[in-house]
Amino acid sequence: MDLLLQLLATGLVVGSIYALCAVGWGLIYGTTLHFHVAHGAVFSLAAYYAWAGQQLLGLPLIVAVVLAILAAALSGLLIDLLLYQQLERRGAIRTTVFISSLGLLIVVENVLAMVFTPDPLRMDIGVLHNAVQLGPVFLTWLHVLAVALAIAGYLALMAFLKRSRAGQAIRAVSSSPEMARTVGIDLGRVHLLTYALGSAIAAPAGIIVAMDVGAEPYRGTTFVLLASVGVIMGGIGSIPGAMVGGVFLGLLENLGVWQIPSEWQSAISFGVFLVFIVVRPRGFFGRRIQSAEI
Amino acid sequence: MLKRLLALTVLAAVAGVASATAQSGPIKIGAILPLTGSGASYGVWMKGGAEIATEEINAAGGIAGRKLEVIFEDHAADASKAVNAMRRLVEVEKVPFTMTSYSAPTLAIQPIGAQNKVVMMNGGGQSDNLANKPYLYNNIPVVSNEVGVIAEWLAKEKGRKAAVLIVANDEAGRNAAKSFREKFAAAGGKVLAEEQIALDGTDFRAQLAKLKARGGDLLFISSYGRNVAIVADQARELGITIPMAATSWVQVPEVLKSKGAEGMLTTRLPFNPDSPFANKFKQKYNVDAGFFAVQYYSATKIFAKAAETAMKKNNGRLDGEGVKDAIETVRAFDTPSGKLVFQPNHAAVMDIEVGVLKNGKVEVEKVIKANP
Repeated sequence: MDLLLQLLATGLVVGSIYALCAVGWGLIYGTTLHFHVAHGAVFSLAAYYAWAGQQLLGLPLIVAVVLAILAAALSGLLIDLLLYQQLERRGAIRTTVFISSLGLLIVVENVLAMVFTPDPLRMDIGVLHNAVQLGPVFLTWLHVLAVALAIAGYLALMAFLKRSRAGQAIRAVSSSPEMARTVGIDLGRVHLLTYALGSAIAAPAGIIVAMDVGAEPYRGTTFVLLASVGVIMGGIGSIPGAMVGGVFLGLLENLGVWQIPSEWQSAISFGVFLVFIVVRPRGFFGRRIQSAEI
Repeated sequence: MLKRLLALTVLAAVAGVASATAQSGPIKIGAILPLTGSGASYGVWMKGGAEIATEEINAAGGIAGRKLEVIFEDHAADASKAVNAMRRLVEVEKVPFTMTSYSAPTLAIQPIGAQNKVVMMNGGGQSDNLANKPYLYNNIPVVSNEVGVIAEWLAKEKGRKAAVLIVANDEAGRNAAKSFREKFAAAGGKVLAEEQIALDGTDFRAQLAKLKARGGDLLFISSYGRNVAIVADQARELGITIPMAATSWVQVPEVLKSKGAEGMLTTRLPFNPDSPFANKFKQKYNVDAGFFAVQYYSATKIFAKAAETAMKKNNGRLDGEGVKDAIETVRAFDTPSGKLVFQPNHAAVMDIEVGVLKNGKVEVEKVIKANP
């Protein structure tokens, strides 16, 4: 029983990190229909921004983290402005955008590895590393923070999308770009805002992982893969779906090893995903996946 | 006809010049090391040790008057990268000898070395499968020697009866775990459970939570490099309070500095941190030297000695076969850690120390002599 509770708690922590990443990716995909794998590059960049802020510039941790989130948002925005929008202006199809995104991911990762070495760069997080005991469950303060951030980030994003004019514009574009355009919404600007928001939501995930085990250049690839799996499981176009999908993946990964040997950990997640996509292609909350969407 | 003859003459002359330079230019050897990735800390030591040895050899006039040059290659703990590096060394650089490291990468390059008659000297990898391989010599004991010593010590002197294992899912990790299961059982202990982890992974909490639920009075970590620091920290974080044990693989800065590893029971291979070599290393690289620095210092010196012997015997000609024969004839080499004797299985034996990790250092409790 203790083991189950511990795996549940660890799964929830890992799931929260996946969820942040998935919500960001899902927002961008649902709005722009770009299969934005360079989201993984933004995830890694956020970690290096935070590391550089603290270790190179000597900023206090909280300041470094806030600046890193802003810098990640700007990075996401610039990727859309300087790459995707340029390609689309020249009539590029979605596959072209996807390939360019993949190319960007590889370039960014390799440049990071070249500049900062492939070795993990550790941050100094003080008391956040200390353990917290809740009955039979052991966590660190960083883990508690990860769950809290995931909940706060999700609620803030939902409020923004529902209440603000800009948020409503994003939802309008997401549900029908043509209709949004006819009522005078500037698609380009909505896309830029979406990229900034989606990147800002995912940035804390990258930073938390870096705080836990160090910033590494190639980690983004794994996370963007899991984020897209989470989004598809949760249902494309649904932010609550992305949240649930991310948490579900984290729980699956950890609870899966309860009875199955742990070397099968990643096989479990992807195995369940394959079953899921065949049996329930629309995910938990989403619309049916159409072949034209990728 | 005349033209062809002329061409042949020119060709022969060029070939003559080429072979003449090969006999007098610098002697090039390789070193395939973990310069990046999870084992980069080992790489700093290994490369530094080989560099210091090379400087000393060249300052003393080189090998039979020829300068020594080491070409460093990175395998980042990846066997396929090691194979690419080995091919480059064999086909482009045409080295007679290369240093190598890590179990899986060394096992991957060994057939290439054997086929092309290039001697490989492994100073780091310890899988038992590295023994008895043609053209491969290990100036380090295989891991079963060390695991045998610590398993017996844990069972008989530390009162450990039931172990749980966390195992890096690679050649070295699995091999050490296999040895541990055998030797711990032979010493009267029992292995309750085993979980595998990826060497480059970062979150082992699920596996550790599973092992914690199995109980036991010892966590044996069959892994190496910074991976062990992550395992130790996460184990303590999860409230695992039983003692942890490991082999000399854990003696890297990340583990020694890690809070979780404090109190870990471990083996150590002989290394004197106050030796002239260690001081020189510290001065040159501003990093404390470790066991693996001496290993590659010794490996380079062993090559120099073997090459000199081979060239004397073969009228100045140097090739892998000659170096191999020289190693077999000389067998015993002087190193900063004493006389090193290659056993018939191509591996070395050394004294093995056991002790406790305290404040970043191993407090040795007992030494098991190689030749009692």
